[in-house]
Amino acid sequence: MFEIVKKFDLAIEKIAQYLLVICILGMLGMSVLNIVLRWFEAHILWLEPFVRYLVFFSAFLGGVIATGKRTHIGIDIVGKYFESKKNWQAHRWVGRVIDLISLAVLVVLFDACLDFVAEEAKYGRADVFIGVHAKYLAAIIPLGFGLIAVRFLNNIILSFSSKYQFRTEDELDEMKEKGEEVQA
Amino acid sequence: MSALVILPIIIFALLGTPLFIIMSLAAMVGFYFSEIPLVAVTIEINKIASQATILTIPLFTFAGYMMAESGSPKRLLRLAESTLGWLPGGVAIVCLVICAFFTAFTGASGVTIIALGGLLYPILSNEGYSEKFSLGLITTSGSLGLLFPPSLPIILYGMVTGVDIEKLFVAGIIPGFLLIVILSLYSIKNGSAKASTKKFDKAEAWAALKGSWLEVLLPVGVLAGIYSGKTTTTEAAAVTAFYILIIECFIYRDLSLFKDIPRVIKDSMSLVGGILLILCCALGFTNWLVDEEIPMEILRFMQEFLTNKYSFLLFLNIFLLIVGSLMDIFSAIIVVVPLITPIAAEFGVDPLHLAIIFLTNLEIGYITPPVGINLFISSFRFKKPITELYRASFPFLLLLLFALVIITYVPSLTLALVN
Repeated sequence: MFEIVKKFDLAIEKIAQYLLVICILGMLGMSVLNIVLRWFEAHILWLEPFVRYLVFFSAFLGGVIATGKRTHIGIDIVGKYFESKKNWQAHRWVGRVIDLISLAVLVVLFDACLDFVAEEAKYGRADVFIGVHAKYLAAIIPLGFGLIAVRFLNNIILSFSSKYQFRTEDELDEMKEKGEEVQA
Repeated sequence: MSALVILPIIIFALLGTPLFIIMSLAAMVGFYFSEIPLVAVTIEINKIASQATILTIPLFTFAGYMMAESGSPKRLLRLAESTLGWLPGGVAIVCLVICAFFTAFTGASGVTIIALGGLLYPILSNEGYSEKFSLGLITTSGSLGLLFPPSLPIILYGMVTGVDIEKLFVAGIIPGFLLIVILSLYSIKNGSAKASTKKFDKAEAWAALKGSWLEVLLPVGVLAGIYSGKTTTTEAAAVTAFYILIIECFIYRDLSLFKDIPRVIKDSMSLVGGILLILCCALGFTNWLVDEEIPMEILRFMQEFLTNKYSFLLFLNIFLLIVGSLMDIFSAIIVVVPLITPIAAEFGVDPLHLAIIFLTNLEIGYITPPVGINLFISSFRFKKPITELYRASFPFLLLLLFALVIITYVPSLTLALVN
C-alpha cells in the first residue's frame, strides 16, 4: 500500500511542479507583454486579471509542494526541540499530529469552499474575463486546499513506512554515519 | 472566544502546525462564535486575487532565487572584494554589502546564508577572522538588506496595511544604511586588529566590474524605473525577473532554461506559496479581529499604563523583539501588523516610521535566541551547534539593538528622504 501512496504522492508533486512552471513563465511573459503593449498605447484588458489568478493558483501549487517538502512556515518550537535532541521518534509523532490537525482543518475549509463555489455559480459574474464564469475561478480555492489536504493525508500514511517516511537532513546524516541504507 | 478555545489553537501553533492552518482555524472559530457562516472565510481568501501588487511577491522571489543559483554571488563577491577589500575590515564589509544586496532580492528567506555562506566563510577565515566573528557576521548578514528595495517584507507590509509601497522603499534606505555602517565599524575594529589588509588593484576592480555590470545595474534600474514613474512596482518585478532570466540563461549561461529553471521555480514557489497561503487565510482572521474591535480593546488596556508616544515605542520594541524571535517575518507582518497599526496611529506614530521600526525589529528577530531563523539556517549550513551560533551572534545582536534605538527615537532618519 505504501508503494501506491508514494507513487500517487509523487504524481501530485510532478503535476504541481509542471503547472507551476507554466504559471510562472506564463505570468512573467504576460506581464512583460503588458508593459510592451503600453509603450505602443495598446491594451489587452484580460491580461492583468488573468495574471493575478495565475498568481493565486500558483500560491496553492506552491503550498502543495511545501506540504510535501514540509517547509510550510510555522512556529516550530516543539519540533526543533526534538530535532536538537535527535529524538527522531518523538519528532515524527509531532509531525503526525501536525498533519492530522492540518488535514482536519482543511476538510472543514474545503466544505466551506464548496459553498462559496455554489454561491458564485448562483450570483457570480458570468464574464470575469474572456468569458470565464466566476464559479470556475472560485473553484481554484477548493481544488488547491483539496490537493494540499491529500498531501497531508499522504504524509500521515507514509510516516508509518520506514522506507518512505520523512527524515530531516540531520537524521539522514546520522543514518549514513551508522551505515544504514538511506532512501532518497 | 473563551480560553478553552484559544489555548488549543496556541498549542497547535507552538507544535509547529503551518500558520495558514492556524489562521484558518482561528478565523473559522471566530466566525463560528460570531454566528457568521464559514463561507465568509473563503470569501476573504478570494479577495487576495484582486490585489494588484500580489504579482510582485512571486516574481521578485523568483528573480532572487535565480540569482542565488547562478554564478552571480561569485561575480558580485569578486567586485565587492576588489573595490572594498583594501579597507581595514574590508572583507567583512564586503560580506555585509553583498548579503544586503542579495537579501533585498531574496526577501530574507534564508537563501542568502545558503547561497553566500559557503563562499564568504572561507574568505573570512583566510583573512584571519575568528570562527566566532565569521559565523556571527554571516548569520547576521543573512537578513541585513530587508530594509532595502525591493525586499519582500516591505512589499508584504505595504499590501497588508495599505501604506504606499514606493514610499516604504524610500523610507527604508537610510535606516538600512545605518545598520550596515554600524556593523561595518565593528568589522573595521575587528579587522584592523586581526585581519590583514590588501591594496586596491585598479585592473582587478575594472575586470570584476566588467564581469558583473549586468547584475550591478539591476538595483539601479529597479529604483530608477519606479521613482521616475516609468514603471509601477508590479511592472518592475516583471522586468527584474525577465531580465535576470535572460542574463543568467542566455548571456552568462549559468542556468539552463530546461534543467535549472523548473527547479528554481519549484524552490522559490514553495516559499511564495507558503507566504501567500498565510496571507489569504489570515485575511479572514484579522478582519474578524477588527470587527470585534480587538485592537481598540488592546489600546484601551495599554492607555492605562502607557502615557505617551515614547513609552509606547519602548513597549512596541520589546513586544516586537519577542514576536520576531518566535515568528518568521512574513507571518508576523500578516498577523501582528493589523493589530498594532491602529494603536500606533492613536499614539501619533507615523505609519512609515512604524513600518521601519517593525521591520527592523523583525530583522533583529532573525538572530534573536531561542528560535531566530538565521541561527538555525547557519547551524544547518555550517554544521555547528545552535548554542555556538547564539554566542557568535550576540555582539551583532547588541549592535543591531543600538541601531534600533536610534531608528526608533530619531524618526527623521526614516522620514527625511520621503519628505
